Amino acid sequence: MEMKVIDHATCTFCGCVCDDIQLHADETRIHQAKKACVLGKAWFLNHTAERKYPDALIDGKEATVDEAIEAASEYLYQADMPLVYGMSNTTCEAQRQCVALADNLGALLDSHTSL
Amino acid sequence: MVLVDIRETKSVKAADIFLQVRPGKDFELITILRAMIKDQPISETQIAETGLTMEQLQDFVSRMKAARFGVMFFGMGLSMTRGKHMNSAALLTLAAEMNAFTKFVAMPMRGHGNVTGADVIMRSQTGYPFGISFNRGYPRYNPGEFSTVDVLVRGDTDCAFIIGADPGATMPQPAIDHLARIPTIVLDPHVTHTSRLSRVHITTAPAGISAPGTAYRMDEIPLPLHPALESPYPSDEEVVRRINETLMKKPDWMGERPQILQTQI
Repeated sequence: MEMKVIDHATCTFCGCVCDDIQLHADETRIHQAKKACVLGKAWFLNHTAERKYPDALIDGKEATVDEAIEAASEYLYQADMPLVYGMSNTTCEAQRQCVALADNLGALLDSHTSL
Repeated sequence: MVLVDIRETKSVKAADIFLQVRPGKDFELITILRAMIKDQPISETQIAETGLTMEQLQDFVSRMKAARFGVMFFGMGLSMTRGKHMNSAALLTLAAEMNAFTKFVAMPMRGHGNVTGADVIMRSQTGYPFGISFNRGYPRYNPGEFSTVDVLVRGDTDCAFIIGADPGATMPQPAIDHLARIPTIVLDPHVTHTSRLSRVHITTAPAGISAPGTAYRMDEIPLPLHPALESPYPSDEEVVRRINETLMKKPDWMGERPQILQTQI
């Protein structure tokens, strides 16, 4: 099996965000995370490209992403005081979209920092 | 390295000096240090209250002043115990006042991956780092009123959008109960505790593993992510953008009002 090597991969498990990790990966999983700590190794090696979970769930039943986006938008739109929360384990690009979402909705916006 | 804690942790081995402060006396200790750096009189009894001695603190203060560049790292042990944000505020003031003598900064220790990025993005887009409300059409900041735990425990909010977090596993029970009562929407690479009590869950690609983007290090250095795997799931960014697009097609909640933040860069 062809192994892909990625130098200078960035680990987002904790706030240290180490950016000198060397990853050895095939199509579905990462086999080695060199220079990563115990936490970082577990983070990289435990994620796979397999379809482990359904694309989306609505009321616990499997649904498509399109249906889930429609349902989520409707719940948010109907709410008087929606809350947008979290944003820790995601990218800055997604965080910007979240700020726009809260702005559009007139919502509350908060992150893990408030804990 | 000087370590201040209420008990001997594993970090003691790495520290040069360990100061064991009495639980709940952080604010008192910081206030005493603020007085001592300015040579204001402090009594032995005031110091004894913190569980430390005059000699220990005098040594600590002279070391701080002798440093060329000092950093104070603080965590939830300071900000989540008696005094809460008053403790953090006192420490930040101490760091600011130390700059009369030498370069000093204070930095929060971060647990989760890109929580610093969340602070930075919210600061640049709204002017505030967290605990924000847009319900008057413009951003307002008030931790305690708009912070999530308080909002959920009081039951103020009637819909929750959770991304890259699992409050169902970490928050106090009354907050979790409220999340289960209201429509909750979860975006996460895994089906989490919060997903199980939510109305809508969308599986997304894990950031840095199979979703590209940017993450901020704890000291506010932005770093690019280099994903190693292709994910069968969409990224967080794509899903939130599509929700935004769907919402933009609906009539505005405030009538014909232009968006307050004109540029979502």
